[in-house]
Amino acid sequence: MKEPRDRRLRILELLAGDATLNTETKKLCQVCADVTGMTGAGIMLMSGDTPRGSVCTTNDVSSLIEELQYELGEGPCVDAHEQGTPVLEPDLAEPLVPRWLAFRAPALAAGARAVFGFPMLVGAVRLGALNLYCDRPGPLTDDQYADALVAAGVAARAILALQAHAPADGLAAELEAGADFRYVVHQASGMVAAQLGVTVGQALVRLRAYAFGNGRSLASVAREVVGRVLRFDEQSGEKDPSP
Amino acid sequence: MLREANLARTFVELADTLVADFDVVELLTLLTDRCVELLELDAAGIMLVSPEGGLRAMASSSEAMRILELFELQSEEGPCLDCFRTGQPVMNQHLDELNGRWPRFTAEALRAGFRSVHALPMRLRGTVIGALNLFSVEARAMRQVDVDVAQALADVATIGILQHRAAAESQVLNDQLNRALNSRVMIEQAKGMVAEREALDMQQAFSRLRTHARNHNLRLVDLAQDVIAGVVSASALDLPRGTPS
Repeated sequence: MKEPRDRRLRILELLAGDATLNTETKKLCQVCADVTGMTGAGIMLMSGDTPRGSVCTTNDVSSLIEELQYELGEGPCVDAHEQGTPVLEPDLAEPLVPRWLAFRAPALAAGARAVFGFPMLVGAVRLGALNLYCDRPGPLTDDQYADALVAAGVAARAILALQAHAPADGLAAELEAGADFRYVVHQASGMVAAQLGVTVGQALVRLRAYAFGNGRSLASVAREVVGRVLRFDEQSGEKDPSP
Repeated sequence: MLREANLARTFVELADTLVADFDVVELLTLLTDRCVELLELDAAGIMLVSPEGGLRAMASSSEAMRILELFELQSEEGPCLDCFRTGQPVMNQHLDELNGRWPRFTAEALRAGFRSVHALPMRLRGTVIGALNLFSVEARAMRQVDVDVAQALADVATIGILQHRAAAESQVLNDQLNRALNSRVMIEQAKGMVAEREALDMQQAFSRLRTHARNHNLRLVDLAQDVIAGVVSASALDLPRGTPS
């Protein structure tokens, strides 16, 4: 098995480059498919905090898998999002448990044989799910599974950065800094949510937007919030923290 | 009370938390608290490996930011990382005499007032899932009997975390660690909310959550989720005993 640390680095290396944010999200989907050895991948937003919709897909089949799930309200990503846990179907043609009665036939007909949904979570914030499919049946190996968990984590952070209108190089920088692993960032998001009366998901985006807008690191902004130096409800006019 | 009695009580207490679907953060926080009390140390923390990228801080005997950051820093360098990589204890490291082994960690630990540090692996059979980190404000070696106690406590927690699976099922382990790490993030979000609403520091906010969860027999992470969702309001949380209301 690979070292856990390598999984994230590999994704970051594949993402690195001078691409703009828009091409970065397309690339992100391709990287998610590549690292997990899947035929296709997509990122589905399903949170009440954020607009529902597809962030990106790698091909027509991935797009169809997402459209079906939005339309029918069932499928691996819908379940993964609702349950907050990975949902695996290694063979749609012969499923272990009967489920997704409307989703199954059209997904199979389009060429998806195995489908997997990995939730994108940041604490209590549920953003949606990473959608993976393979044109052959079979379970994920341990390595594929671990890579998919990591890819879903990277995708979640990428979405938060996108919603905060990260500058073109902001996404890579954000992922590189790994600020999401810091306690203080999450404490600050709870505080900002209470200050503004918004959800924690929206607070996470506001914190990032403030950091990007002021050319500062997320962790240092968060430290000021927790240290009660910076408040978000006292900002107004030209000092508005959301640019 | 005799230390032996305290120790016995701690093992019972730990075992008692190991019910089905137990709260990993609660278990590990309890462990760090008891390490500090039983071994006369000044701080303890636990880092677990994440499927995402190395070690992540999971529990601490103190919620003070300076202490938490000492653990967080060790995803980059420090005794926990060395202990995790080798699977071997890193004992009796006197911070005054380290000569640049972990420059950032040493500087921060000294600044926080610590003089010696230890790390013990969280290991079951071949699998290392993290490390227990112990700090003292004195530059002194731990007695072997204390090392044994700390390792035994760490082992109980490790068995608890690994018990729900066949040892070879790496998907289940990864999933469980991932879930535990996410629940820690959720608790931080809830702490922030309670701290802001009730004008508390993070330590006080955490005690409120923990006290309320215990009093009402709730999992800490479930309570955190309810607070974030507004199902339980911060002002409705029980005060820890001895707190003037």
